[in-house]
Amino acid sequence: MTNDTSTGTVSAPKSAAPEEHLEEQAFKLSEWMANQGIFIFTAALILFAAVFIDGFVSLPNITDVFNRAAPIGIVAAGMTFVVISGNYLDLSVVAQVATAGVVLIAVSNETSIPVAMLVAVVIALAYGLVNGVAVGVFKANAVIVTLSTTFIGLGLLRWATGGSIYFGPNDGAIRAFGATRIGPLPLAMILFVVVTLLLSFVLTRTTFGFMVRSFGSNREATRLSGVSTPWVVIGAFTVTSLAAMLGGFVLAAFSNTAVSAMSDGYDFAALAAIIVGGTSVFGGRGSVLRTLLGVVFVSVLTNIMVLSGLGFGIQQMAIGLLIVLAVSVDALARKATGI
Amino acid sequence: MPDRDAAVDSQPADGRVGGGDHPAPIIEGRNIVKRFGGAVAVDDVSIAVSPGEIHGLLGENGAGKSTLMRVLAGVLAPNEGAVWVEGHKLDPGDTRAALDAGVSLVHQELSLVPEMTVAENILLGSTPSRSGFINTREQKRIAAEALEEIGVSVDLDEPIARLSVALRQFVEIARAIARKPQVLILDEPTATLTPAETTYLLDMLQRLAGRGLAIIYISHRIPEIFAICNRVTVLRDGRHVTTVDIEDTTPEGVVESMVGRDLQLELETHREDPVLGEVVLSARGLRAPGVNDIDLDVRAGEIVGLGGLVGAGRTELVRAMIGADIRTAGETTITRDGTTKRIASYRSAVAGGVAYIPEERRTDGLALSMTVVDNITLPNRYALSRAHVLQSRKIVDFAKNLAEVVNLRPPEIHRNVGQYSGGNQQKVVLAKWLGREPDVIILDEPTRGVDVGAKAEIHRLIRELADNGAAVLVVSSDLPELLELSDTIHVVRDGQIVGTLARDQADETSVMALASGQTKVDAP
Repeated sequence: MTNDTSTGTVSAPKSAAPEEHLEEQAFKLSEWMANQGIFIFTAALILFAAVFIDGFVSLPNITDVFNRAAPIGIVAAGMTFVVISGNYLDLSVVAQVATAGVVLIAVSNETSIPVAMLVAVVIALAYGLVNGVAVGVFKANAVIVTLSTTFIGLGLLRWATGGSIYFGPNDGAIRAFGATRIGPLPLAMILFVVVTLLLSFVLTRTTFGFMVRSFGSNREATRLSGVSTPWVVIGAFTVTSLAAMLGGFVLAAFSNTAVSAMSDGYDFAALAAIIVGGTSVFGGRGSVLRTLLGVVFVSVLTNIMVLSGLGFGIQQMAIGLLIVLAVSVDALARKATGI
Repeated sequence: MPDRDAAVDSQPADGRVGGGDHPAPIIEGRNIVKRFGGAVAVDDVSIAVSPGEIHGLLGENGAGKSTLMRVLAGVLAPNEGAVWVEGHKLDPGDTRAALDAGVSLVHQELSLVPEMTVAENILLGSTPSRSGFINTREQKRIAAEALEEIGVSVDLDEPIARLSVALRQFVEIARAIARKPQVLILDEPTATLTPAETTYLLDMLQRLAGRGLAIIYISHRIPEIFAICNRVTVLRDGRHVTTVDIEDTTPEGVVESMVGRDLQLELETHREDPVLGEVVLSARGLRAPGVNDIDLDVRAGEIVGLGGLVGAGRTELVRAMIGADIRTAGETTITRDGTTKRIASYRSAVAGGVAYIPEERRTDGLALSMTVVDNITLPNRYALSRAHVLQSRKIVDFAKNLAEVVNLRPPEIHRNVGQYSGGNQQKVVLAKWLGREPDVIILDEPTRGVDVGAKAEIHRLIRELADNGAAVLVVSSDLPELLELSDTIHVVRDGQIVGTLARDQADETSVMALASGQTKVDAP
């Protein structure tokens, strides 16, 4: 593969510095891993699971893996917008998912599902606006801002609910959604795929998605090209918020219950999927489809560990390790492209 | 005039270069090869410099000069070849080892910490300490000594941020000197200096060489090379072209080696009598940080040049004019088809037909990790979409067409812009704005860091734009360029227009005199 050593000079002694070659190869490898790695690794992991893990290859197990991945997958697909816009992440998805779930069940118990959904949409737009204005207009640090809005949101939710668990009616549409299958495919899983494809289209093919990517690649150049950059940031956070809301709906529908603690760890899980998929935390580079692959990878890996009887502690450790690896590869790849 | 093919062949295989009886070299780069990915930046180049020698290094942009120097200073590890200092081979890519061996590099981009003081910066990386505590007295003593050696007086406790660009450059040199180097490498140190400051620097270097320091001096300015260098090495496309004693060559010979072809250095002709229309871009009473009460008009079909020294406020002026930065007073208007509109914000300027080609194309002009197509699409996104959905086929045709107009080489529009040379990157910046068919074009240092060929093409494009009726405003510190392009030149100093010269009155002397404040010429 590496046939680039010959320069055609006779006199040049080939006294190459070995460490330099190592470094160069590390760069090339990381660039390759950041770009192509996820495809190969996902395929390899699935193959590994199919061969070595008892009970992995069965329709119930596979649809279950994907179905369970649906809420986090939808959240991650949305959060990809914030990451690609170069604003790191939206930690407040934790509060947003729980709020949407609680609102869906609690408000629909009092009124109706459409009203509950409308309330949830308003809340999602408010999250998008608050996060987006703080980060996009005031240029505040996204990590701190969204960590704070998580506190605000969860605090508000706990205060409003008093920590109670809400149950939907047993014969309601929410429960039906969580349990319905079209053929062998659960409805939640289909929604996950549809949302992913839709967001992928928005990111790659619309002027808004284009501005998000461009802003993530170079903010000032994008501004000087006549783009209203605060709106780009507000838009990216709003997409994330609407996806977090949908994720909250799906999560609540699964169990027909909602509680303020239902989405613990969603911030990190979504980030894991995005980063493992190969979307750069430096912004500009990545896609929603990569996030889908990242979700598949993390879900299959978790499933393998569950089926192998490894405890939650080990699972948590493995995911943490995976992210350290993925962000390191991302940083090396960025250095390799010299940008 | 040296025959360049013969000069290429005359480089012996053992890595020793140049003829004559020069004293033993103190630093030698032998058969250096440096690749970045697939691109070969330096291809089998050898260079040797003796104590007391000032060795000029010349070449067009992208010829590999800076890369070679970074290899010599241990900043980059070569893929092949090695650096020898006083007969000892240096560990490749070990900056510390190179410093310890006495090789100091004065960086092209200033690498000082703005918040720290002069003394702290001079000792940065080698701060004297006693059991973990900074020895402030020793720090100041060494810093003062280094500054005295180069003959510059500046307050040691002054933060760098408060110094002028020139003083920062001198502090940078003092920093290199403080390490007691045997070899000093300077990469275009005069790029941001005034003529007087340049003379001072050149004298200083000759003094340092007189004390036995070996100096490698990179510059684009050929008169400087001929003023101080003993020998020159010319690189082209990463290859060694020639190394000659300065008395054995001429400026023309050196230029020919650099470009590899007979290049007529005659000035490009002015445009044939430009047809000037009504005033399109107009600023009145403009104030902003660094901009002091400016009135400025640009007519349709006119190229107005803004001359002046670096830091005179020209960039601030054009940015305030179009709303890219805030202005504190005054207003700018654009007149098109008889209707005059105020520019309220940068976006309204762009919507009103303004194209702005910023000074820093890598940070402000382009999204480097995106493709040529993407960069061209950015300002044209609404014209290239229907119901906010981008039309891929239309976009590709659009970008291909513009790549052809600006003569992008190679015309691979799906490549990342970051992979292109400076000249081609600048062509992409032009292309993205040409697509909007702007009425007003503002160019800030349009050909900085651009090679000779691309420069001529960019000049051609600027002239064509004006010929087609655009109002063009050019900021340039490159005097020949400014004189060549402009129909009218306003000279800016301290944020004010201190003189206006019609093109038949303007020459290098009159512009520099105004820019440096030696005279004040009233507008005719």
